[in-house]
Amino acid sequence: MSFLEVFQYTRQQSPIHDLDPRSKLVLAIVLAATSLMFLAIVPLLIMFLCLLPLIVAAKSLRRWATSMKGLSFLLIFIIVFNTLFSTAPNPFSHSVALTIRLVCLMTSFSLFFLTVHPDQLSQALIQMRVRFEFAFAMSMAMRYVPTLGQEAYAIMDAQKARGVELDKGNLLKRIRNIVPIIVPLIVVSIRRALSIAESMESRGFGASEHRTYMERLRFQKRDWGVVILSILILILLVYIRLFVPLPDWALLELPF
Amino acid sequence: MIILEDVSFAYDGIYTALRGVSLQIDSSERVAIMGTNGAGKTTLIKHMNGLLRPMSGRVFVDGKNARDLSVAELSRTVGLVWQNPDHQLFLDSVEKEIVFGLQNLGYCEEESQQRCKQTLAGLGLEGFAKRSPFALSGGERKRVALASVLATEPTVLALDEPTIGQDARQKENLASLLMDMNDQGCTVVVVTHDIEFVTEYFPRTIAMANGKIVADGKTSSVLSNIDVIEQCSLTLPQLTQAARALHQIVPTVSERLSLLTEIEDVIADVLGGQ
Repeated sequence: MSFLEVFQYTRQQSPIHDLDPRSKLVLAIVLAATSLMFLAIVPLLIMFLCLLPLIVAAKSLRRWATSMKGLSFLLIFIIVFNTLFSTAPNPFSHSVALTIRLVCLMTSFSLFFLTVHPDQLSQALIQMRVRFEFAFAMSMAMRYVPTLGQEAYAIMDAQKARGVELDKGNLLKRIRNIVPIIVPLIVVSIRRALSIAESMESRGFGASEHRTYMERLRFQKRDWGVVILSILILILLVYIRLFVPLPDWALLELPF
Repeated sequence: MIILEDVSFAYDGIYTALRGVSLQIDSSERVAIMGTNGAGKTTLIKHMNGLLRPMSGRVFVDGKNARDLSVAELSRTVGLVWQNPDHQLFLDSVEKEIVFGLQNLGYCEEESQQRCKQTLAGLGLEGFAKRSPFALSGGERKRVALASVLATEPTVLALDEPTIGQDARQKENLASLLMDMNDQGCTVVVVTHDIEFVTEYFPRTIAMANGKIVADGKTSSVLSNIDVIEQCSLTLPQLTQAARALHQIVPTVSERLSLLTEIEDVIADVLGGQ
């Protein structure tokens, strides 16, 4: 599951980390939307090359690379599967483009999740007038992903000690071996959710309508810069997509 | 018999949990492992059934190098009972839960059923066979998890914090069960903070701090060593505290008494003498 790391916050000092989460959200959405607008290899590659410096600026290149390595199996699977079954005129080019698009999409969103602390995210949502309960639920969900991972390992250990051989047997047996892992994981999570709820209520969660917050997010000049630039780029690209025919080199397809 | 030779281990290769631990546990011994939180106690027992493999050093179980055996193979010899029973219970009846482990280890249906019945009877869980483990109380779930390991009749039983959440009577039941298993030749290793439980039932104690063994020997001498107590952030057993208090009043009384009968004799002596 190492590829999920790319969506997990890492504490760093970087210009990207310093941005307001709301401006990063706009940036991430624009980047993702751009990746969805084109389905040819060259524009997507250009897109990818624009994303990489951003990841470098967030000082997260290594983490990103490990995650992509973890994802490589899925990526190869997408290429092979699509090449075999796609109805597009040039299935191989098509599936390569799809794969690059997936990488671009993941990278765009990882830029957001890598650099936004769950608390910041919920604060951003609250200041965007999302109800506190929902924002809180969301940041709790993010907060508990690593805990869930640890729990999964503990459960695997416990089941291995009872003679469950997780990495042996045919595909069917391996799939069946998931049951002794997943059931305790769900049960433990539900039990924990209940106890968290109780402990929160006993500390007065939801007691008053209007909450105050220790820290409030403020938009700064650089945040406005990022937002305006993102929107300008989006408008430009939408215009190109709709009204400007792409030159031949941009529509280049692989020869096989 | 379990032998660890200079075993070191670090989680993710960075977070050191064991630093050159060597120990030998003979068959039919009763050993308690005590120490601060994060001293490496659980890491240590996970090496006994191969869940963790040493980064350096060697582990031998019954004379065989653990490196050459899978976790499933080692689990036939070394049964591990976990701190949190919820990490292993997943079936809809206690009976199935116990039979599951037995069948993993290759026992036939009939034998599994029979062993299951015996074990449940031994733990006072007869009435629970058809109940769902999820509907049981915390202490009961803990006993079901214990039963699922006991049923496989391991020659070494390692328990992680078995007394947590058990009332005094259950604790006594657990102790007498462990004593019975031990009488039948089973080695019992327990990781615990319950110092009363240790002084009463475990003749040998291994004290750990910072991934190292700081003391290993007779429980009475390990637990009356102030340095060890300090390093492992333990509190003295109540009886030892009583002996120390007596020693301060009557200097002829030894500070190192750890048995109730000894204390009673001393008090009787002191009172009788006056």
